Amino acid sequence: MNEPARAKAAKPLPKPAPESVPYWEAAKQHRLELPKCNACGKFWFPPSQSCPHCLAADFAFTPVSGRGKVFSFVTFHRVYHPAFAGEVPYVVALVELDEGPRLLSNVVGVTPDKVTCEMPVQVVFDDVAADVAVPKFKPV
Amino acid sequence: MIDPSRDLRDACAIVGAGHSRLGRVPSVSSLDLLVEAMRNAITDSGMSVQDIDGIVCRGPDDIYSHHQQIGARLGINVKFSTSLDNGGASQILAVAIAAMAIKAGMATTVICGYGRDSWSRTHSSEEARVKNQTTPDDQLPKEFAPEYGYFGAVAAHAFGATRHMHLYGTTREQFGAIAVACREHALRNPDAQMKKPLNMAQYHEAPQIVAPFGLYDCSLRSDGAGAVIVTSRERARDLKQPPVLIKGFGSYNNLRGWFADDNMVTTAAKKSGEIAYGMAGLGPDDVDCAQIYDCFTYMVLTQLEDYGFCKKGEGGDFVASGALRMGGRLPTNTSGGQLSEAHVEGMLQVVEGARQMRHTYPAERQVKDAEIALVSGHGGNQVCHSTLILGRA
Ligand SMILES: [Zn+2]
Repeated sequence: MNEPARAKAAKPLPKPAPESVPYWEAAKQHRLELPKCNACGKFWFPPSQSCPHCLAADFAFTPVSGRGKVFSFVTFHRVYHPAFAGEVPYVVALVELDEGPRLLSNVVGVTPDKVTCEMPVQVVFDDVAADVAVPKFKPV
Repeated sequence: MIDPSRDLRDACAIVGAGHSRLGRVPSVSSLDLLVEAMRNAITDSGMSVQDIDGIVCRGPDDIYSHHQQIGARLGINVKFSTSLDNGGASQILAVAIAAMAIKAGMATTVICGYGRDSWSRTHSSEEARVKNQTTPDDQLPKEFAPEYGYFGAVAAHAFGATRHMHLYGTTREQFGAIAVACREHALRNPDAQMKKPLNMAQYHEAPQIVAPFGLYDCSLRSDGAGAVIVTSRERARDLKQPPVLIKGFGSYNNLRGWFADDNMVTTAAKKSGEIAYGMAGLGPDDVDCAQIYDCFTYMVLTQLEDYGFCKKGEGGDFVASGALRMGGRLPTNTSGGQLSEAHVEGMLQVVEGARQMRHTYPAERQVKDAEIALVSGHGGNQVCHSTLILGRA
């Protein structure tokens, strides 16, 4: 009876590639873990089965600080997916972690007009479903 | 070994150019649009379809063995045939591969083209209109994008615009100068999709799409196609049209990604351009008009810097000076570009570059005394780039 005329669209959930499963498993427990090369010691993202810095295949998902800065960002005004109709305007940012890799994410907890390049940010986790948490970033 | 500057510079020429109906062309497939453009290019060249012995083409990336389907519709078998997968960089690459194939004796006369049905695809239903997506769903990212509400090419390129504005103080007013210049050119082109004038006030008042981009920073959704015919310089002499020499080409691919390094601000146009200039024995001061891949206003600005028409960071002042208009230092996207003529992934820019070199336009559309045209192509997740330098014979 009280169902809205149009069912509320759900936001897309990440569909992990095989190589990304450990990343999302860690995120679920509110830990940000990225592949780190055991040969050259560098982190990379997105996850893959060999190090793009030295091509070694010996690596481990390793916690990072979760701190970084906004490298660049955009503000969505147009709705491309009905689930985001109530969110616009929202910020999608490229966050450069202190460890080097750049992650695409949302900057939350601040209005879009306050977001700037080089702004320091810290990871927070958004429990978007019972078994899925998505890393997002808030200003430090 | 082939030395491009010795063996490929001026070895081949564009001898035919054509385009299809542009804009909203419902109920015509991308394949038929491309064949329409190819028919027009063949007629333009004065040749017969039986003279074609090579095809290098591309269409929507969900069509398997695209060149085969084009050959079937043209009704020909050929020596050399393939389809490309470098996004908007493919179309210039097609011309380059044609020239290389001719030089290698793999073919004598190669038709190159690209056709799409993007207006129709994005207007087939309300859902399609909202998604505004031309890529098939199964080719889209499944993680690290949709969960953040990150969709589409507007946002991807807007990241570069934000970074450039941060580093160099570039303004939206400067992006607007590009949109306005392209619209001025389109109004002189009777086949252009956009028919109404655009001024700076309208640019600023238009809705924001993905900031810093507003509506007029974004290229069009178009149905349409373009094609050119490439043959050897020797054969070109006997043909109907003034041959347009292929003086140089180059490609470069920042495969580490758009978000890696400084690729959003210094694009692969830089190295692609250096290679093409090297082959042609020319530099930016020699270029009289440019057809720059304008998927978004910002991309014109940064590529003009990367090609050396001004220094990195000075593109805003360059475009705001009126340089891109007819009579300016570098008339750019003189048929209206993808911002105002039609977005056919750079193919119409190859066509326009060739036409400018023939000097057959009415005076209002002709870049006066133009001897050299530079054409750019950009795509493949924003990091594949190609450059073509054309000249009057
Ligand atoms: Zn390594």
